[in-house]
Amino acid sequence: MNTSNSLVIETNNLSKAFRGVQALTGLNLMVQQHSIFGFLGPNGAGKTTTIKLLLGLSRPTAGSGQIFGYDIQRESTSIRRRIGYLAQDPRYYEHMTARETLRFTAHFFFTGSRAGIEERIQETLRLVGLEDKADRPIKSFSGGERQRLGIAQAQVNYPDLLILDEPAASLDPQGRHDVLEVMERLRKHTTVFYSTHILSDVQRVSDTVAILDHGKLISQAPIEELLNSNSKPIYTLGLKGETEKARQRIASLPWVVAVQTKPVNNHISWEVTVSDDGIAEAQLLKQVQLGDEVTVLEFGRMKVDLEDIFLTLTEGGQNGKH
Amino acid sequence: MTAQTHPQITRDLRMAARQGLLPARGSGWLGGFENMFRKELGEWFRTRRWWGRILIWPALINGIPAIFRATGQIPPEIPDILYYFQIAVIAGTIGMIILAQDEVIQEKQSGTAAWILSKPAARRSFILSKLLSDAIGALAFIVVLPGLIILVQTYLTTHQMAPLLPFLAGAGVVMLALLFYLSLVILLGVLFESRGPLLAIAFGVMIGGMFAAASFPQIGYVLPMSMDKISLMVALGQPLPTADVSQLISTAVLSILFTLVALWRFQHKEF
Repeated sequence: MNTSNSLVIETNNLSKAFRGVQALTGLNLMVQQHSIFGFLGPNGAGKTTTIKLLLGLSRPTAGSGQIFGYDIQRESTSIRRRIGYLAQDPRYYEHMTARETLRFTAHFFFTGSRAGIEERIQETLRLVGLEDKADRPIKSFSGGERQRLGIAQAQVNYPDLLILDEPAASLDPQGRHDVLEVMERLRKHTTVFYSTHILSDVQRVSDTVAILDHGKLISQAPIEELLNSNSKPIYTLGLKGETEKARQRIASLPWVVAVQTKPVNNHISWEVTVSDDGIAEAQLLKQVQLGDEVTVLEFGRMKVDLEDIFLTLTEGGQNGKH
Repeated sequence: MTAQTHPQITRDLRMAARQGLLPARGSGWLGGFENMFRKELGEWFRTRRWWGRILIWPALINGIPAIFRATGQIPPEIPDILYYFQIAVIAGTIGMIILAQDEVIQEKQSGTAAWILSKPAARRSFILSKLLSDAIGALAFIVVLPGLIILVQTYLTTHQMAPLLPFLAGAGVVMLALLFYLSLVILLGVLFESRGPLLAIAFGVMIGGMFAAASFPQIGYVLPMSMDKISLMVALGQPLPTADVSQLISTAVLSILFTLVALWRFQHKEF
């Protein structure tokens, strides 16, 4: 096993085709230890295919991958011993209770004292808030309860890596909040690799993201880097008065790239794109107020969120439409 | 899920693992076998269906001859044991096909197979745990329990004990017939994604084979078309014709072959 770096997942041109259709092309992923790694992409981008390849449930048609330094094809059992997995649409034996399901799962990993295993099951039930429903058959569980059970069974073995496929997709806002909170708490102990298309969740908890589109990796970076690197800073201003004269003055500044104006109610709104954020932060407002022709009603830096980046990188959200 | 603080996850979880829990036994091609086998065996013996099986199989295999005898349709000189082998093979085969049809297909369709295989469970263990637990379940409920009852029935009607060793050998032939269909159904479950082709082929082999064997007796050299007759002959200590010996050998070989192909195909299955 390779211990020379802290990479938990590493893939090298990982590819998968189904009956001639290329589902994944040349994927090169690098997931650092103890990161919460958001794996983004529109539906059908290849996220679940990638996860199944990592788990050994499917075989690559080209390329390779390692988890903890183990080969995903030849040493899959060794990998699965150290990971927890939550499927996109998790299914269990409906007649079993949550406790029985966790006991069955735990016995794939542990032997030892019965009391020790039962204690671990109880801890896991407590973690996801299913203690009071532990002895009910799963067939009576709601979607949210099934998802909680899914998280519980995925981490009953103290995994070094949690792989979660769309963990919050089927949950209501409170359920999503709770799942994200559990993920954040688990970061201390484990690496979390999760796929999603809920971008606000990613921005909230992830430290690194990869964006997949049409089976190809189009970006992979720490989230702050991604947010900062994919667009020029934009400042927004709300103005009253003789704005055209001021606009010409601002547009002529060397560090201003563009000034877009539009009327908003009884004032004019500007979006000023700049090439140097430092200068703009210090100078822009002063420059606008230099003449007395305008009154500044609002001033701020436009926040670029992950959704803007995602839509830009995935060709304006045109996935599958061209 | 509540948003309360959970102090138990703030400590080092791996330390906790080291303190109380040991890594599971079984690795490589038998990884997870013990766990899956225990679960599968529990489906036979630890669910409420246990009682149903205890009642249904003796009612079918022992009840029919008892009813025939009570209504005078069986001459007094013919012992019940003669009917045991015939009914156990035919009813047991139908039961085996029906009971085992969902073993693999249902798990593939529902997604539980993919869930289990995301754990450190070997694919061979998945198949073998089902095969072995079903074989034990069938042995207990279809062969042994009705077999014990029929020995008592025979004693009560004839006041003579049936010779035990030949009877056990005959019961072994019944079990071989059931194993043939069990391994066939497991293989078909691996190969197909729905029950239709599985049931068509399994019942096709059973029923179609019987009709075909009437026109082409050579089929009887290969497929288990007359295991009811063979099991009875063995139980009565009668010598077997060459065709029947061939059928026994072929049934055993085919059962092993079906199992090996099922293991190989499942090993390469994608989920």
